[in-house]
Amino acid sequence: MSAPPTSRQRILDRVRQSTHSSADPDYNPETAYAALPRTFILRGQLTAEVRIQLMIERLREYGAEVVECLPEVLPASIAAQLAASAKQTFAAPLGLAAEWLAGGFNWKVDDGLRIEEIEAVEGVVTAAFCGVANSGTIALHHSVTEGRRVLTLLPDWHLCILRASQVVETLPEYFDRCHVPPNLVTWISGPSATADIEMTRIQGVHGPRFLHVILVRDVV
Amino acid sequence: MSQTAAAHPQLDPTLALPFPQAALPVLRNPQLRRNVAHAIDVIQAKRSLLVAEKTDWQQLRQAASAIRAHALDNLAYYLEQFETRCTAAGGTVHWAADAAEARQIILDLLRQESATEVIKIKTMTSAEIQLNPSLEAAGIRVFETDLAELILQLGNDEPSHIVVPALHVNRSQVREIFARRMGLENLSDDPQALTAAARTYLRRKFLTVPAAIGGANFLIAETGSVAVIESEGNGRMCLTLPRTLITLAGIEKVLPRFQDLAVMLQVLARSATGERMNPYTSLWTGITPGDGPQRFHVVLLDNQRSSILSRPIERQTLKCIRCAACMNACPVYRQTGGHAYGSVYPGPIGAILTPQLMRMQHAKSLPYASSLCGACYEVCPVKINIPEVLIDLRAKVTDQERGRFNRFLDPMYLGMKIANFLFAKAWRFRAAQRLARIGLRLFTAGDGWIHSLPGLGAKWTQTRDLRGLPSETFRNWWAARTPVSVESNKEAK
Repeated sequence: MSAPPTSRQRILDRVRQSTHSSADPDYNPETAYAALPRTFILRGQLTAEVRIQLMIERLREYGAEVVECLPEVLPASIAAQLAASAKQTFAAPLGLAAEWLAGGFNWKVDDGLRIEEIEAVEGVVTAAFCGVANSGTIALHHSVTEGRRVLTLLPDWHLCILRASQVVETLPEYFDRCHVPPNLVTWISGPSATADIEMTRIQGVHGPRFLHVILVRDVV
Repeated sequence: MSQTAAAHPQLDPTLALPFPQAALPVLRNPQLRRNVAHAIDVIQAKRSLLVAEKTDWQQLRQAASAIRAHALDNLAYYLEQFETRCTAAGGTVHWAADAAEARQIILDLLRQESATEVIKIKTMTSAEIQLNPSLEAAGIRVFETDLAELILQLGNDEPSHIVVPALHVNRSQVREIFARRMGLENLSDDPQALTAAARTYLRRKFLTVPAAIGGANFLIAETGSVAVIESEGNGRMCLTLPRTLITLAGIEKVLPRFQDLAVMLQVLARSATGERMNPYTSLWTGITPGDGPQRFHVVLLDNQRSSILSRPIERQTLKCIRCAACMNACPVYRQTGGHAYGSVYPGPIGAILTPQLMRMQHAKSLPYASSLCGACYEVCPVKINIPEVLIDLRAKVTDQERGRFNRFLDPMYLGMKIANFLFAKAWRFRAAQRLARIGLRLFTAGDGWIHSLPGLGAKWTQTRDLRGLPSETFRNWWAARTPVSVESNKEAK
């Protein structure tokens, strides 16, 4: 069931009457859009190394734990992070590389886990789509290595694997990397937080309280 | 605490008192004023630091303003595009001409789901249409999940700010509300403990309630996606866990393309909370099998927006992205807080939006609730010239009053008429000055100041002194001293 068609028509008619788009027959919204001013900074100026350092600094400002590692020791680095968490049960997206699922832990691979099962795990390990250094933002597009949205939401502890080659400096550069707009997006800038009580920043409201990032130095 | 419980704030503009009266209880409540001032000082300090570090801030404002103006100029085009793409992705789009229709659509959708409970993401638009009371009246229990909204809901209070709705409530007041309503006698007033209490209280609801209602920060025409910008993760919970999701959005929320977020997200969090980026931003497109709600509805709300669009000066009101920078910068809001505005949209943006949503039939004191200092315009990330709109709305209010039969009983009207008569001829003006000097001498104290006046004049002297008139007018002084030098000046040029 939907609203009576009359409301749709009435609203659109009123909007058209109120705006100029119907007045000029040659007017094209797409042409007008292309002409909008875009003089803000599009590309970053930092060297790769400084960009990575900025990403790490921003993540740490948000209270996220960051470690760096070389690609060949990534599985060992993941295992070390899991061990240091003192947790036992972890969820993983279906497409996560098998060597990332360190031995000695209880893994729940998401082949359609029920909500209760995800709620019961202690942590989750995922990949990421992109990192934006300026704001310390991690973008998830929820592919098979990044997991369904609920997977990085319910567990209290999130270990995110971000490659140096995925880190851009500015937000517009992230949008350049999206050749097709993604269907699902979660941008994460630090752990869940609130300042609703006397503007005191409190970490960990409903989302994961602990965000850990392994920055894989795949470009030097 | 007693203040909030004793006087429930009236945010229905059809029932609210005029701003000057509504502001009085706040001005007499030092605790409330301290709470508001503290919160605003914190946000303002963070905002100015993070805006200063952005070397292309003005260019971003220009782009953000241009994108929003373009979206409004072509609103029908982009709304239809959004509808087509959202529908193709499995969403259902509904159109609501006014608040009553939007409430009915949402109620019908919830009844189809046989929902007796619903979880909500903070949405000012739902407060605008007074959704919660109507759902409760229909037997559906509403759970607000944003921490501030939860504080207000449990405390039977109303929002006083659009980004930090409970900024007028301090920690001990929150403790009292939570302890009473959650049955936690030994709760401390540490914000960490209070936040943890909210987390526990809501967790079960997130996992079990089958329907959620939220707003939209942006609708993306190009993709049919909806964007929700938040901090706590309660939004993500509501967007991910229930089987049915209803998004209520004003028709003005459309952005042409996904890439426009590159501009909007750079200005929004900085302006709203003084952060480089808010912790969580979610975008979804219709329905994704196996991920999130499998039934998704968007209710597009007009509720006077299409008529605001028709007036060129007022149209810019709809560019607003609800960051609240204008209220944080406003010297009037800082003193009165949000409840005095008698609307869910307080501060400068509320002062221009609310009367227009009310078709200029209510909230007519709000365009005057400003000193026109322009601080709101300066901070606005989408460059809404709020003072310009305020002045235009004042003209509209005046035009309405001009047509009223009983205007001759209004002292302000009569005073203006008399002034008009006196100012029309120089000799009348001079005579009036002479009479006023003689008349006011009676009230001028030895220090040259007038401390109290009778009748209408008392409205001024109740709150401030008035300087007595000088013994000589400027025109007399000028005539006596300078006729020669003016001529010689002219010749020198």
